[in-house]
Formats: sequence, structure tokens, C-alpha cells
Amino acid sequence: MNLFAALLFRNRLAAAGAVVLSIIGILALLTPVLPLQDPYTTHMGSRYLLPLSPGHFLGTDGLGRDLLSRLMWGTRLSLAVGVVAAVGAGTIGSAVGIVAGYFGGRTDNIIMRFVDMLMGFPYILLALAIVAVLGPGLMNALIAVAAVNVPFFARNIRGITVGLAHREFVDAARLSGKGHLKILVTELLPNALPVIVIAMSTTIGWMILETAGLSFLGLGSQPPQADLGSMLGEARSAMITSPHTSMVPGAMIFLIVMSINLLGDGIRDALDPRLRSGALARPMAATLVRRKTVPGPTGEGLLRLDDLSAQFHVGKRVYRAVSEVSLALAPGECVGLIGESGSGKSVTALSVMGLVASPPGVITGGAARLEGEDLIGAPYERLRSLRGSRVAYIFQDPLATLHPLYKIGDQLAEAIRCHHPISRSEARKRALKLLADVHMPNAAARLDVFPHELSGGMRQRVGIAMALANEPDVIIADEPTTALDVTVQAQILALLDELRRARGLAILFITHDFGVVGQLCDRVAVMYAGRIVEEGPTAEVLAAPAHPYTARLIACVPELGAGRRRLPAIPGLPPAVDRLPEGCAFAPRCEKATEACTKGEIVLSGAQRRWRCIHPEPVA
Amino acid sequence: MGRYILRRLISAIPVLLGITVIVFLIMAMIPGDPATAILGSYATPENVARINHDLGLDHPLVQRYFIWLFNMLHGDFGRSYSLNRPVIDEVLDRFSATLILAGVSFVACSILGILAGVVSAARQYGAADKAITFVVLIGISIPSFFLGMMMILLFAVRLSWLPVSGMYEIYGGGGPIDLLRHLTMPAVALSVVATGVIARLTRGAMLEVLRQDFIRTARAKGVHERRVIWGHALRAAMVSVIPVLGLQAGYVLSGAVYIETVFQWPGIGRMLVDAILKRDILLVQGGVVFVAACYVLFNILVDVAQSLLDPRIKT
Amino acid sequence: MSATSFTRRQFGLISGALLTTTALASMPALGATPPGVLVVGQIAEPKSLDPAADTAANDFRILVNLYDGLLRYKHGTLEVEPALAESWDISADGKEYTFHLRKGVKFHDGTDFDAAAVKFNFDRMLDDKSPYHDTGPFPLSFFFSSIVKTEAPDAHTVKFTLKEPYAPFMSNLASPTGMIVSPTAIKKYKKDIGRNPVGTGAYKFKEWKSNERVTVEAFDGYWDGKPGLKAVLFRPITDANTRVAEMLSGGIDIMVEVPPNSLSQFKPPKFNIVEASGPHLWFLILNCKDGPFKDKRVRQAANYAINKEAICKDVLEGTAVVAAGPTPPAFNWAYNHDLKPYPYDPEKAKALLKEAGAEGAELTFYVTQGGSGMLDPVPMGTAIQADLEAVGLKVKIETFEWNTFLGKVNPGLDNKGTHVDMAEMAWMTNDPDTLPFLALRTGAWPDKGGFNSGYYSNPEVDKLLAEARTSTDQAKRAELYKKMQVIVHDDAPWVFVANWKQNAVADDLVHNFSLEPSFLLELQKVTKT
Repeated sequence: MNLFAALLFRNRLAAAGAVVLSIIGILALLTPVLPLQDPYTTHMGSRYLLPLSPGHFLGTDGLGRDLLSRLMWGTRLSLAVGVVAAVGAGTIGSAVGIVAGYFGGRTDNIIMRFVDMLMGFPYILLALAIVAVLGPGLMNALIAVAAVNVPFFARNIRGITVGLAHREFVDAARLSGKGHLKILVTELLPNALPVIVIAMSTTIGWMILETAGLSFLGLGSQPPQADLGSMLGEARSAMITSPHTSMVPGAMIFLIVMSINLLGDGIRDALDPRLRSGALARPMAATLVRRKTVPGPTGEGLLRLDDLSAQFHVGKRVYRAVSEVSLALAPGECVGLIGESGSGKSVTALSVMGLVASPPGVITGGAARLEGEDLIGAPYERLRSLRGSRVAYIFQDPLATLHPLYKIGDQLAEAIRCHHPISRSEARKRALKLLADVHMPNAAARLDVFPHELSGGMRQRVGIAMALANEPDVIIADEPTTALDVTVQAQILALLDELRRARGLAILFITHDFGVVGQLCDRVAVMYAGRIVEEGPTAEVLAAPAHPYTARLIACVPELGAGRRRLPAIPGLPPAVDRLPEGCAFAPRCEKATEACTKGEIVLSGAQRRWRCIHPEPVA
Repeated sequence: MGRYILRRLISAIPVLLGITVIVFLIMAMIPGDPATAILGSYATPENVARINHDLGLDHPLVQRYFIWLFNMLHGDFGRSYSLNRPVIDEVLDRFSATLILAGVSFVACSILGILAGVVSAARQYGAADKAITFVVLIGISIPSFFLGMMMILLFAVRLSWLPVSGMYEIYGGGGPIDLLRHLTMPAVALSVVATGVIARLTRGAMLEVLRQDFIRTARAKGVHERRVIWGHALRAAMVSVIPVLGLQAGYVLSGAVYIETVFQWPGIGRMLVDAILKRDILLVQGGVVFVAACYVLFNILVDVAQSLLDPRIKT
Repeated sequence: MSATSFTRRQFGLISGALLTTTALASMPALGATPPGVLVVGQIAEPKSLDPAADTAANDFRILVNLYDGLLRYKHGTLEVEPALAESWDISADGKEYTFHLRKGVKFHDGTDFDAAAVKFNFDRMLDDKSPYHDTGPFPLSFFFSSIVKTEAPDAHTVKFTLKEPYAPFMSNLASPTGMIVSPTAIKKYKKDIGRNPVGTGAYKFKEWKSNERVTVEAFDGYWDGKPGLKAVLFRPITDANTRVAEMLSGGIDIMVEVPPNSLSQFKPPKFNIVEASGPHLWFLILNCKDGPFKDKRVRQAANYAINKEAICKDVLEGTAVVAAGPTPPAFNWAYNHDLKPYPYDPEKAKALLKEAGAEGAELTFYVTQGGSGMLDPVPMGTAIQADLEAVGLKVKIETFEWNTFLGKVNPGLDNKGTHVDMAEMAWMTNDPDTLPFLALRTGAWPDKGGFNSGYYSNPEVDKLLAEARTSTDQAKRAELYKKMQVIVHDDAPWVFVANWKQNAVADDLVHNFSLEPSFLLELQKVTKT
């Protein structure tokens, strides 16, 4: 709850909305005890007094009644109407929606057709007709406004329920013999409730506006009592001569609705789990760079990373995802970057071309040089011209990484046309060739299909073809096989290996699987908690890992033919990168850790093979 | 696709039939009758009976419904007693005026709303985003009729820039420029709320989409940011925006009731309100059925557009 | 980066919008109406332009310029004078009326106006065997229900035979319901005659654009002199604010029924306000059958308690005068000038209430939201409620939209188990007989088909009214009505609130414009520069 409040108030507009609304709310509650004049006493002698007249702070209306007093009583009434209408519409609509969504089939069909019918009416006419049938009066206007909003709630909540009704916990409840009613009330309702409550709270403003609209058309509260809408309606005839009489209720309606909207937005943002995690923001075109100094190049290499550091800034917290990573990639070389999830390997890879989602990502130091040119902090246009043409990426889940609404052929052609001004038909020919290159079966027919129509393996071939489109020098493959099953994974690895040898590509291969590294990579670097803890030629590292963490990782790989043996998982969890311990980050999980391991900076030492450990495993 | 459209059209028939029943029942339930409305203070029981007989209102309810439905299926919507002309003539006259107003507003609010939403999302937390968000919030917090009246006061009465009301100049008017002058204020007043709703929704959808992996893919390919936003991201965001456009069409149509009142636009929204107040049963029924049919058709169009946009939807 | 390009575009967009606005604004107003073309802002779209089918003052304003009746109201009065009929004879028993018609009058379609046309019109309305009786309905045909037969002995003589003497007959003939439509046009257009009106009036119909305008043009062959205007455009503007805004910005030349609130906006020399007191009465029906108002003292208390002066002067901004009794002063000959309105005297009201033991009584009060002649019913009702509260009555208002309101009030204030104590009401009539006959007689209780919704009954009033109705001598009628007014004033079955002064605004281009007590808008002599 505190977190919620904190999040809510971080949003200054929402906070302002909350403050304004609470002030209005409290004043409305206190109205009966406030020292206000009687809102119904008429004084024909003092009609249409302007605001700030003696005795009448906001002036008077057409019957000489005190506007301030009428405003407060009207606000009280309007708020009550808004809340009751929202709750009424929300309750009935949600009930209908849950029933329709849960039972599905014919029930759903009939209910939803009926809802369609009601929505087919212009809602204001429906409200008008309802009031005409019931007679005027605030209560009836309320019923009408609530009734016309029932279909909207029913539709929304049904959508949510349909999603919930097929979830395991509902099936489980059904199997356990619970009755429909019980499932509806105890299983579905609690899950849909947050959405219902949010929808209700955000509709209050809408309800107030609609009631005001009905009052505008002459149907609403009964005089002399007035809600804000009918105050506006009464004042309308004096709109030109005494505009303040309509401005006062108009401004109040505006204030209430505005603050409800602001607050509603804030509540929604604060409650949305994704927004809450700080992923509230959309990523910008290139990662933010905030580095104080640029280190000089520390060695040779087609692509080299020098002391690259990247962080995530979420609120006041700083997650140090990548800390001073240095790594080199020679032409034609394949380097594996390995580590558990959260070790910073993907962030390292994405930093190269400024693809780390930002906000919250920030590159805080180091350099990434392509043939000596620093890419970190390069102007956007330069970065863009290199993306895909010199350095290409292959991503993990090809269903999510291919645009769902574009055809395969178009996506491939676009990759080419971004960098080469060629005709559409030419691009299409090249796309076809690319698909053939990655051994896409029946390539010509695949150009005109959408990603969801392909299998996972085929999609990843498309991903690879796209990376190859402009014959880049470097391919950064971010766990390209993780989402695939084992046979497909082997095919894809074979394909990458083949392409690398045929085209002299340099590959930075990110994975968490030493088995994969062993098949493909010349060298390997192991990351833990944002740092490289060991690096060396693949065969040597595999044969004799120096860092205890590497040793543990290797032990996790099942050996073919070794039968069913228990894979020794690494006990404990990686540290949270916003609270990295001093010394070796692995120390808390390490069997060999000593006091020295938790003190000071432990450096990466060695030449051909390097490791960051003061108690390394014996190296052959 | 053809079969899909046909299927949707067929499934709209029961909805429309249902609407005829609902509107008929509502009109039957409303207290007061055409005779009272015609006769005003002179509505003696005898006079009322005479007029009800003339209007065919002395038949039983069910019979009246089927007579009406049968005639309507034969293209005869009956005669409006309050306007002394065939319902269908009046409905078509008035609907075309509403179509111009609501159509222009709808197109304007869709385009402006989407533009604002995209810009706002692309520059999230930037000055443009804050400005747009704020303006949009103001827009959806003002009753549209209030805004309309304020606009008349300012632009027509005080500044004399634009005509107060009506669709054409009353004398010697006509032509697109005259129409545009008269259309400007009502169209703006009518589209403000819908623009706000669409902008908010587009912004949300864009923010959602921009976080997706395929956007990163597009950027990794070297696609220009402008195309990432207006091509890749917007296209994906439209999947959630389009259904709302369908709903907004309904709001615009409803909002037209107020706006047509304030600006004296000769549209169908105001006609229906007047017809309800005058208990012009046939005019209300015919008008509502016509409007509802258009709304249902429009929503089928929206669904078709949606399925054309998103290949994942089974047609 | 693309950032700048967005911004540039936005600027483009905004400046484009601004340019368009300025362009639209700077264009010359297309519709500045030329001299001789008058635009009248009406309160609503006409229902029909068939005089036999219309009931609303709003429609009558157009009709009076398109059609003539046999008689018409003398300028500035409610007395009849010759129109299509040049002279007439009334039989001694008051049952036979013979009219001698004007010669050489033509309808707008070129056909001749003659006795056959008159007979055709009345048969159409009254004779269900007439082949054109189905071109109705004819809601006000009961104005002439006393006619037994209509005859046309020759081309220029028409004879009506009545069931019984009926004093308001002449006045009804001058009302719009008695106007004569071209029989040729009725035969041609049948039910659509209301959209294609053909009469003998000063202006002939040109076009009707739904909810936009009705256009009429000068009829050069008009029998009573050439019309002063080339054309008149009647423009329906339902929303009062919009109507005022149009008037202020020059979109219309004449505006009728000016909302009291906005009167102060219209000042000479640019604008001229014209007024005419009409035969209008705004009153409260009190339930004399049941509840506190059964007691005459409570009814009188209500009359004392309500500050009618404030309502007329403040709520209505002087567009009405306080009413003294059931007959509006516009019926000059029948109005009892000795009658004085109940003064505003809350103390006296309290005393009367105490005497009757009705202090703190709870009352239900039906208020309408609008309606013909109802002026500003909600603020008026609210003010009345506040005044009654001030003398210790607890009044609960229930408001209804006009048609529902009529549906609830006309069947009587004690109907189907609901008890109502008071209701607003207003009438505009063309004869002093109409209102009391329909709403004060015992024989006009709702269950007997009248509008005496408050169940007032006084045999003496009944007798006076019956006598006046059958008398053809105006002096005798006047005396009877004056007696009736004194009795009703004292019995106080109603609270007599206001007599409306009909008003209109015209801009400085309009000349010779005045309003008639009949609520008709005669434009034949009006000119515009």
C-alpha cells in the first residue's frame, strides 16, 4: 500500500488530482455544517450579483440565491450521483459480463447480442427514452445514466472473464466439484475485481458529465434542489448576460472530472504491474549514454568492448547490469558470452548498438569500437547506418521479435532497403535468395506469409536471414536457440556455423548453455553479476575451468550418453545487481569462499586465459 | 473475406430486429401520446380518441408492431405526424446533415487523436507529451455543449469570425466554403472529447507496442526511427485502436445530439430528441432503426478493417 | 534526429489550422441578406403549414402571412374585421351566419377564391364523408364543431348553420384554424398539403428545407395591397441562447419570444424591442377537491403568499404583468377593470393558514419544463415554492417535460390514486369564453372531458358562463364575464400569476413592425432596408 501511494504520488499530476479531489470531497461532506447561506432562499432584489459581491462570494443566480452555497450542495449531489451511477453500472455490467464470459457458448452469445443491441442505440437517446418512461428526477437520470453504461462494463469484464475462465485455477475449481455460483464468486470475481474497481473509479467523471448532459436537455434533479448539471442548465438562459452563473458550475464540473481523470490515470499506472516495475517507459531510439571519460582502446579486434558499463535507473535505485566489461572479437571469430539470466550478457550485447531499452537503461562508461570507431555515443544517424549493415542481431524468441503484421518477405526486403536504395522487386529477389541461403524449405512461398504461420525453427531462419541481409561483419546472436527444441536447435547452430565459415562472419554468441558454446565458439567469456569472471579459448575453459562459477556452470551440462544423472544445480541465487556485495559477487554461493573473497576489488588476471578469482580451480 | 462479411451481415439481422422491438416497446411505455402532443391544452379524451384513431394507434400493441415492421420491410417507414411528411424523407434529409458533421468530426478526431497519441508516446515525458496529455485531459473533462456555447460566445458573437449556427447561410448560401464556415465550430466542439479518448488510447497502445521485441528488431535492422514509430509501432498499435474507433463513432453520434442543439445543425440527433419529446412514435422508431442500422454496419466495417489489418484474426 | 522533424510537422499542422481559421474568418459573410429580405428567428420547426392541422403559435406566425380567413383581428385588438368576407348577417336566433365574400381574390396557384372553396375547407375539417377528410388530423376542428352544415348558395355567399347559438364563433373564424386553403392544392397534394401550402395571403410559399428554413415570397396579386417585403425566411432555432447569439451577430432580423434574461442585450438604436399584451394567463391550478386547498382560505393564502410582482418584474424581467383574475386584460371589452390582484402579503397568508389550520401542510407541486405559453416555468415554479415555504408550507416540486406534464395534469389532479395539490398552467385563447368554459365549469371536470383539473365548482359561475356563451350581444356578454371574474377571484380556484406581454426584437433595418395581441406575426406591411 505504501508502495502504491509512493508510486501514485511520484506522478505529480495524479497527486494534484488527488489533492483537489479530496478537498472537493471533504468540502462536499462538510457542506451541511459549513457556515453557508441557505441554498434555496430566493432574493429577487439581488439577482445575478457578480462574484465577490458583499455577502455572496461567488455571486448569486437568477433567483438571487447564493451561488457558493448552491455550488457546494450541488457538488455534493453530483459526486454522490457520479459514484452511485458508476457503482451501479459497474456492478450490474460486471455481473452480466462475468456470467457471459464464464458460461460462454449460447448464454454468452445471447447476452452479448443483447448488449450489442443496446450499444446500437445512440446512448443519449436511450438515456432520454429511459427518463421519458420513468419521469424526470435525479434518481431516474441516475438510473438512465447507469443503465446506458451497463453494456460497456459488460463488454469489458466479459473480455477479462473469458481470459480467466480458461485458466487452470478455474478448471481446478470445477474439477473439485464447486458449483457455478461458487466459482463465479470465489474464483473469478476476486481476479476481475481490481479491473472492475479501476474501471468504476475512472468512470465517475464520465457519469458526472453524462448526468450534466441530461440536465442540459432538461432532465435531472427537481428544483429547488440542484446538481451541478442542472445548475448549468438553469444558468444557460443567462449565458450571454450573466456568464458567471454558468461558469461557476461549469468550472466545478471541469475541476471534478479533471481531477478524477488525473487521479484515475495515476491509479491505473500505479496498479499496472508492468508500469510498477519501472518499465513504465517506452524505449528510445538509442540507449542513453552518460559517461564521464572514454577509455582508450585496450587492444586489437574487429569489435572490441572496453570497460563497458551499463546500468538501469529505476526510481532511486540503480541496477548495475554491466560493469567494466572488456571483450574483443576478431574477424571470422566466434566468441561465446555465457552466464545465468540476469548476469548482464544480453545487456552487454545490446549496448553495442545502443539497443538497451532506455529508459531505464543508461550506458555509464566504456566504449564499443567497431574497427576503432566508438559506437557508444555515436550520433543516432551514424548508429542507424551501422545497425544491420555492419553489425546485425539475431534475437531469442522469433515469434516476438518478428513484426506480427508484416509479411516475411516485406520484413526481409525492408532490412535491405534500409541500407541499400534498391527497388521493391529487386529487394524481393534478394529476400528470396536470403531465405534460400538459410535453407528455408519452399522459400518462394514463404515470402508472402506472416510470422504466425511459420514454425519456430523456420521463424528463426527468417531471423538469421534478416541478420545476413546486408552481409554484416559482425553478428550478435542473443540466445538464438533458447526457444527452440533440441533438434531444431542443432540445425540452427549448424547453419550459423556454416554461414560463419562461408562468409567470414564474426559472431558474438550469447547463451546460458555451455553445451552450445562447445559446439560453436572459438573463445568463451563467462559473466556473473555484470562482470566477466573468466575468459579463454573454449576447449581450455571447458577442460579446466578456473573460476568456481564456471566449473559449476559446466557441471550443469548433461553429457550425452551419461544416462540419467542428477544435474547439480548451483545453490542460491545470483545477487541483485542493485546491491552488489564487495569483493567477489559469487562468494556467497561459493564453497571455497574465504574472508578475503568479500573484501576489496578482485581483478581479472591472466593473459590468454583470464579469471577473476583468488581461489581458482587448478588449471591444467 | 466475402463470406466473412456476409456472415457478419447475417448476424446483424437479429440485433436489428431486437432494436426494433426495444425501440417499439420504449415508445409504447413512454407516458403521454401523440394526441396529447398534437392537441396540447386541448387534449380532451374525445379529441385524443379521434386522433389516435386517425394515427392508427387504437390497434393492439402486438398488431401495431407487426404492421410497422411489415411496412418497414417494404420500405414504408410511415408518416411523421409532427412534420407531416414521410418518415424516410425526413430521416434521410437529417441523416445526411449529421453524416457531414459526425463524419468530419470522426475523421478529424481519428486523425488528430492518433497523431497526438503517437507523438505523445514517441516523446514520452517530453514537453510535447506533457502538453498533449494536459490538453487532452482538459478536452475530456469539459461538457461538449458547454464548450460549444463558449465557442459561440467568443468566435461568433464577440469576434464575428464564424457564423453562430446553421449549416448554410440562410439566404444565398451553399457551396463547400459556406459549409466549411458553418461546420468549423460544431465539428471542433463535437470532436474534442473523442479526440482526447483516441489520443489517450493511442498513446497507451503505442507505449505498449514500443516495448515489444519486434520494435527492437526493427531498430536493430537499421530502420529509421520515424518509420519505426509511424510504421512498425503505429501499425501494431492500430490493432487495439481500431475497435475503439468503432465505439467512438457511437459517442460522436450521441454527442451530435448536444452539438446539433447548440449549433442548430439540421441533423438527426436533434430530430430524434424532438421526436421523443413530441411523441412522434413513427419518426422516433424509423430514425432509431436507421441510425442503429448504420451504427451496426459501421461496426462491421470496423471489424473488416481490423481483420484486414491483423492477419492473426480468423475471418 | 527525427525529434526535430516531428516538431516541425506539429508547427506546420498548427500554423495550417490557424491559417485556415483566419481564412474562414476573413471571408465576407455570404449571407448578408439584401434589403427586402427578412429573416425571422422562430422557436421551432413548424409542424405543418396547413392551417387546419396546426395548433402552435409558432406555426401560426407563418400561416398568417400565407393565408387569410373570412375574418381577421383588427390591428392591435382582438376584435374581428372583414377579410375574405366583406360583410355578414347573423340571424336573430344566433344560429345562421351568412357571409358575403370578397370578389376577385385569387389563390397563389391562380385559382379563384369563392364560396365553393370555403365550403370545401369546412367540409374537409368537419364532414367525415368528405373525400378529403383523411388529409388531417384536424386537432382544432372542435372550434367549429357547432356547425351543422355549410352551404354555398352562390359563388360569393356562404351560409353556416349552427346547432345552437355560439358566441365565440366569429372570433374562431378569425383564428388560424379558420383560414382558407386552395381546394385545388388540397386535391393535388392531399396529405402533403402541409408541406406545399397554397393560400390567398400576402406571401406565397417558396420552399421548406427541413430544420433550416421556410421561405415565402411576396404575392404581387394580394388583394390587400402589395406586400412590403420581397421575401421572408423563417428560421427555426430551438435553443434560446443560440437564437440570442444569432440576433446579436446579425444572423436574423427579427426574433420572437426573447428570453427575459437576454432582453438587456438588445438596446436601441441597433435593436428595437416591441411588445404586445396578449390574451394569455399563467396560473396555478389548485386542487379544490382534496387536500389543504379544499379550504378557500388556504387557496386565498396561496394567492397572498406568492410574490407575483417579483416573478413578473425579476424572473420574467418585466415581460409579464401581474394577473388579477381569470380573464386577461387583452379582452378589453370583457375584462373587469375594478378587479385588483391579490397583494403580496405573507402575514395575511400566514394568518389565513392559521385560521384554516393548514400551517406546515405538505404540498405536491407539478412543474413543467417548457411548453406553449409557459414562459420560464422552472424558475417561476422555484420562486413560487420558495414563497410558499416562507409562509410555512412544505412544497415538493416534481418537474415533467411538457407532453408528460399534460398527460398528468389534464386527467385531473386526483387521478389514478395520485394526489397533487397544485400545477402550473397557461392558456392563450382568442375569446374570453374559451378558458373559463374549458377549465372552470363544473361540466368541464376532467371526467366529463374538460380541463377543470382542479375540480372547481360553483353553480353560479356555471350559469354565468352558459348564458354568456349563447348570447350574441357583446355588451351583455361583457357584463356576465365581469361578474364571473369577481366570483372566481374570490373563490381563488387558481393562483392568478401573470399575463404575458409577448415580445420580439427587431434590428434597425426593420420598419413598421409590431406585434398583435392575437400572437400572430403579421408581416404584410413590414419593410426592410
